[in-house]
Amino acid sequence: MEEKNSCAQGRSSQKERLYSAAHRTGTDRPPCICPGGMMNMISKESMELSGCFWPEAHSDPEKMAGLAVALNRAGGFENYGVPFCMTVEAEAMGAQVNMGNSLAEPHVTESPIRGPGELDKLKPMDLSAGRPAAVLAAIRLLKKEQESSGVPIIGNLCGPVSLAGTVTDMGVLLRTFRKEPEKAERLMDFVAENLIAFGREQIRAGADAVCISEPSGTGEILGPRFFEAYSVKYVNRVLDALEVPVKIVHICGDLRSVYRQLAGLHCHVFSFDSIVNISEIKPFLEGKAVMGNVNTHAIGTMSADKVGTLAENALSKGVDLLAPACGLPVSTPLANIQALVAAAGRVDSGQA
Amino acid sequence: MKEKETLLTQLADCVLNMEDEEAAGIAEEYIEEGYPAQEGILSGLVVGMNQAAELYEREEYFIPELLICSDAMYNGLDVLRPHLPRSEGEKKRQVVIGVVEGDTHDIGKNIVKIMLEAAGYEMVDLGRDVPPKSFVEKAKETGASVLALSTLMSTTMGNMEKIIRMLDAEGIRDQVKVVVGGAPVSQLFAEKIGADGYSENAVEAVKLIDRLMEA
Repeated sequence: MEEKNSCAQGRSSQKERLYSAAHRTGTDRPPCICPGGMMNMISKESMELSGCFWPEAHSDPEKMAGLAVALNRAGGFENYGVPFCMTVEAEAMGAQVNMGNSLAEPHVTESPIRGPGELDKLKPMDLSAGRPAAVLAAIRLLKKEQESSGVPIIGNLCGPVSLAGTVTDMGVLLRTFRKEPEKAERLMDFVAENLIAFGREQIRAGADAVCISEPSGTGEILGPRFFEAYSVKYVNRVLDALEVPVKIVHICGDLRSVYRQLAGLHCHVFSFDSIVNISEIKPFLEGKAVMGNVNTHAIGTMSADKVGTLAENALSKGVDLLAPACGLPVSTPLANIQALVAAAGRVDSGQA
Repeated sequence: MKEKETLLTQLADCVLNMEDEEAAGIAEEYIEEGYPAQEGILSGLVVGMNQAAELYEREEYFIPELLICSDAMYNGLDVLRPHLPRSEGEKKRQVVIGVVEGDTHDIGKNIVKIMLEAAGYEMVDLGRDVPPKSFVEKAKETGASVLALSTLMSTTMGNMEKIIRMLDAEGIRDQVKVVVGGAPVSQLFAEKIGADGYSENAVEAVKLIDRLMEA
């Protein structure tokens, strides 16, 4: 901590730093990332900077890529990440989506099926059309950008339980987990197959990392038994089928009831909510890089100094990758995102 | 002929043990024996739901279990409610509940609704993705005691504050208690936007609203 400028020789590219942090092979300092997808990184200011606005940027590959690049260039997170919501997969399977506006992200307004029993009415995702194709095209554009920038590209997938609970009512799905597990599993199989296909295409298009976020397949909602039987099982099924340098999993909520199940996730990096205590969860994540977990409400509303302090606190507790704990509010000041990145930049691991 | 106590225990057990398909049958048997519907609800079904809530607090039950318990409770209620005496003395306190605009995740909201209903509140459910204006209009229209706002998405939390500001503007802020909840919401956030309370889960929400109603 004595010297600020410790990386005089051989500064890592952001991509190299992400890889080393994820694989825990030693970095000059932790990266500061925000994957995208459920973990929103886009703010009003970054839209204004890039001239690429929501909702168009959810469907237009150039605007999608433009928005991701602008934030990074402005001293924002040290990655590109697309898409910016969790509705791409569900929409391609037949869900009705309200595309939101410049301040609100898209959300599903109507599920295509009433219950897992109606599985035959679900459409398999067509990756050559609509928003899945737009996401893939955006990743290809970002790959070109990466040649000069060295910024890693994170592709995002909706968690399998969350996706299943979007294409049908979540309450119905949860009851089915308990009462008709065979039916639930058939739906989960279908969802996982589609996620695998989409994930593979994201990787083929150029994604260096894939992040799966589970806002609904959580320990708080499911409890340890169903978390293991559905979240862990199907997240792993998707992860196992993807060949990509970095695999990230984010699970929302308090994880205390499922600490013991987390070791079973086949990811390199595990990310979690701000209510989770870093020192408490770390022993359960042996072999995994720990990512998190700065309170997003704080990042969205507090002063840049305060955000810097919170970031330092997370770093001192041992996060390997500094990140917001959830999706950022669109109103988040760019200065606060920069403060987060700057805090990671101040870390001197003595390895440079 | 079965004793009343036996049937009340069976009603409670149906709810607690997630026997949602048996609850209606037991409730019918209870009514056929001529026992009072009110007691069947309060000393049978609601007891079972409260026991389920205790297991939830102890982390033996989670949301899938609570949902099936509530199915059993509602199946029993459907049978017992038509037999309630017409003239109920005191009017129940009303709670208007909904997921704020921009979000359609409603599991948490539904669980809170179930627990408040079991606790004796009359619930007005606006559903999900509800515009701020609709909350305010419904609060005015019903004269509800409580407005309960939920969201799972951090990006939509701003709508909670918007609703409170609209209540201010309408001059009815002091007539209704506003409580907020959902994964990204916190006590700190609740205080910042001027809500009357925050609770972490459905069981706490009942305690919170009971407390606010006593005050």
